[in-house]
Amino acid sequence: MLEIKKLVKRYGKGSPVLQDLDLVVQGEQVMSIIGSSGAGKSTLLRCVNRLVEPTSGSITLNGTDFTTLSSRELRSARRRVGMVFQGYNLVDRLTVMENVQSGRLGYISTWAALTRRFPKEDIQRAYELMERVGIAQYASKRADELSGGERQRVGVVRALMQRPEILLADEPTASLDPKTSEQIMALLRDLASELNLPVIINIHNVNEAKEYSDRIVGMRYGRIIFDDVPSALDTAQMDEIYSGTPSEDREAQGAMA
Amino acid sequence: MTAHPDRWRKPHMIESPLLRYALYFGILAYLVLTIATLPIDWLRAAEGLERAGRIFNGAFPPSFDRSELLISGFLESLKIAIIASTGGMLLSIPLAFMAASNISPKPIYYLGRGTIIIARSFHPVIVAIIFVKAVGFGPLAGALTLIVYSIGFVAKLLAERIEEIDFGQVEAVRAAGAPFLSTVFYTIFPQIMPRMIGLGIYQLDSNLRASAVVGIVGAGGIGSTLANAFGRYDYDFALAITMVIVGAILISEAVSGVIRKRLL
Amino acid sequence: MTGKSTMDSWARFTPQQRMKRYGSFFVLALTVAWALRSIDVIWEWVWDAPIQLFDLFDRMVPPDPTNLPSILEAIWQTINIATIATFIAVFLSLPVAYIAAQNTTPNRITLWIGRFILVSSRSVNTIIWALLFVAIFGPGIIAGIIAIMFRSIGFLGKLLGEAIEEINPEPIEALEACGASRFKVVLYGIVPQVMPAFFAISILRWDINLRESTVLGLVGAGGIGIILQGAIDTFQWQEVSMVLLTILALVIVGEVISTTLRKKIL
Repeated sequence: MLEIKKLVKRYGKGSPVLQDLDLVVQGEQVMSIIGSSGAGKSTLLRCVNRLVEPTSGSITLNGTDFTTLSSRELRSARRRVGMVFQGYNLVDRLTVMENVQSGRLGYISTWAALTRRFPKEDIQRAYELMERVGIAQYASKRADELSGGERQRVGVVRALMQRPEILLADEPTASLDPKTSEQIMALLRDLASELNLPVIINIHNVNEAKEYSDRIVGMRYGRIIFDDVPSALDTAQMDEIYSGTPSEDREAQGAMA
Repeated sequence: MTAHPDRWRKPHMIESPLLRYALYFGILAYLVLTIATLPIDWLRAAEGLERAGRIFNGAFPPSFDRSELLISGFLESLKIAIIASTGGMLLSIPLAFMAASNISPKPIYYLGRGTIIIARSFHPVIVAIIFVKAVGFGPLAGALTLIVYSIGFVAKLLAERIEEIDFGQVEAVRAAGAPFLSTVFYTIFPQIMPRMIGLGIYQLDSNLRASAVVGIVGAGGIGSTLANAFGRYDYDFALAITMVIVGAILISEAVSGVIRKRLL
Repeated sequence: MTGKSTMDSWARFTPQQRMKRYGSFFVLALTVAWALRSIDVIWEWVWDAPIQLFDLFDRMVPPDPTNLPSILEAIWQTINIATIATFIAVFLSLPVAYIAAQNTTPNRITLWIGRFILVSSRSVNTIIWALLFVAIFGPGIIAGIIAIMFRSIGFLGKLLGEAIEEINPEPIEALEACGASRFKVVLYGIVPQVMPAFFAISILRWDINLRESTVLGLVGAGGIGIILQGAIDTFQWQEVSMVLLTILALVIVGEVISTTLRKKIL
């Protein structure tokens, strides 16, 4: 269970990007966060594993308050949070297997990391996951030889190799074409139920959000203003969330005008 | 459910194991053999630390007493650098054209490339010694040396730039009936001018550094001052000279970088 | 209906621009003139110079191969000095590059220390380092190797540091999010990204060091320079040209090897 209480993030002396945010994510569900650019979606996600340092508030994952951890403890705790990025964030010159195994870097010895002698169970699990998402045949290929959708799958497997307690996905489909985008969203949804994993997804495309998630959270100017099932999201609500965004831009973001 | 493999090896950069191990073995053998057979006088080296201490003591604090000598030496280096850069640039232009495969006929091309290769292959110190023997000690030898040094660098890069130009422009103007030189000035020069200016500024900076060094073998400039100081065990003066050299190089590098950014 | 155009002149530059261009030319010409006039040179000697050069050249031809065995041995020694010194310098430059790169340095102090090491190493020419080390360690190749090392660390460290600063930070972010330690983040995130640049820079420096090693002997720091200096001092010009030919061959072969290897990396 992820529990966020009174989270505030302020850069310098300006108005806060996140204001007094409260959020609870329990059990297996796919939760999508929508909102216009600058609403604070990305900041929120990055505060969970402290890639961005919260200004105040608490973030508790299954009993551990991330905000009070020392750097050593934080490294240890980050293993429990898997993250998938918009730009895939793979190491291009390394093979798919190495990229995937880098999810285990928090667990394996320095020597094993150096010599690429990964533990047997990890290799087996890697092949298992890669086959599940359909990239097992690329294990020894360089990451930059794969297509966008395939690279994102590598990113997903890397995150899952950590055996995380929660999966965060920051605009995982923004760089993909519509068809591949849907494949990845379907994958995240299916994995969430197969592995009993809560998944939080930042997403621009409201249609996809509605189709693939169990719960939608709408953010605006650093606050949560909508938190309900997808079917409850109607035009009025969307205007609230995206208000101030001209309708042409909303079309571009995939929202229904 | 099929069993998944539990072993994985990263594919090697060099595929054939024979080649790979031969390479590793070769490198190892080379290192062991050469380090073992290096003619090192370990005794003298051990005494070195003590000698180093004496030198550093003698070098601090740096002595600027003979600053007129320092300044005149530095100015001479500056003049050598200016003359060599100008002369070198002027000579590099025709040489670069000779060494451009898209402009010059084969025999001239080989002559041009050959000249550049020879100019580049010898360290300026060697060239300086030769010139000193030929024309005597002093800045003349230094200037000649650095002209050769400049040609080796600038002509090569300029020739490469000429080979990369858009030839369509040349053809168009030639088709209109323009004579050779006019074509060159109208179509080729504008394309290579920025690179030329950049190289010129870079080479001025480079020649300033090099003039300090060729002076050590007697070709004038602050290098001669430094060599004399070392020879007379005036380590404090030597340190002062070195500091001035380093300072001049840093300033020159910064100025050259700024000018190139603003102009290009 | 248009009549005759009143525009009958065209100039590329405005009057102000022209003034600026003439102005800079003028300043440039003035500087060169100052340098030429005030330099301490006997101008009769300058016009005499081509004759002197031809005379010297005449005395160098044909090259004399009698001493070839010892020349070749000295060349081998020169190659070793360059190779071993570059090898060691490459390893030593890694930590310096790491702390001199703005995105990997632990704090501002280490950044300045790294920058200082690099700048001092680069600004002092190899020959000057050699002079210093000959004074410390005595004549011989140890002075030469250490001189080349000292100079190379600055070159390698600066270029490597720049390569480190140019890496894509996204994979680094991902690795940190996985909970990897700093060392592992460097190993998996930074090392693979700078690997091609690393090899290219090292090979380039080896090629440059080959050239630098040829002159170490002139200040007593080992290599072919010693034989060269000896031949020059005893006016054996035909041996000098023989040595110069071997140096030429060495440098050309070195450059061919270096260019081929660097092409394979890309």
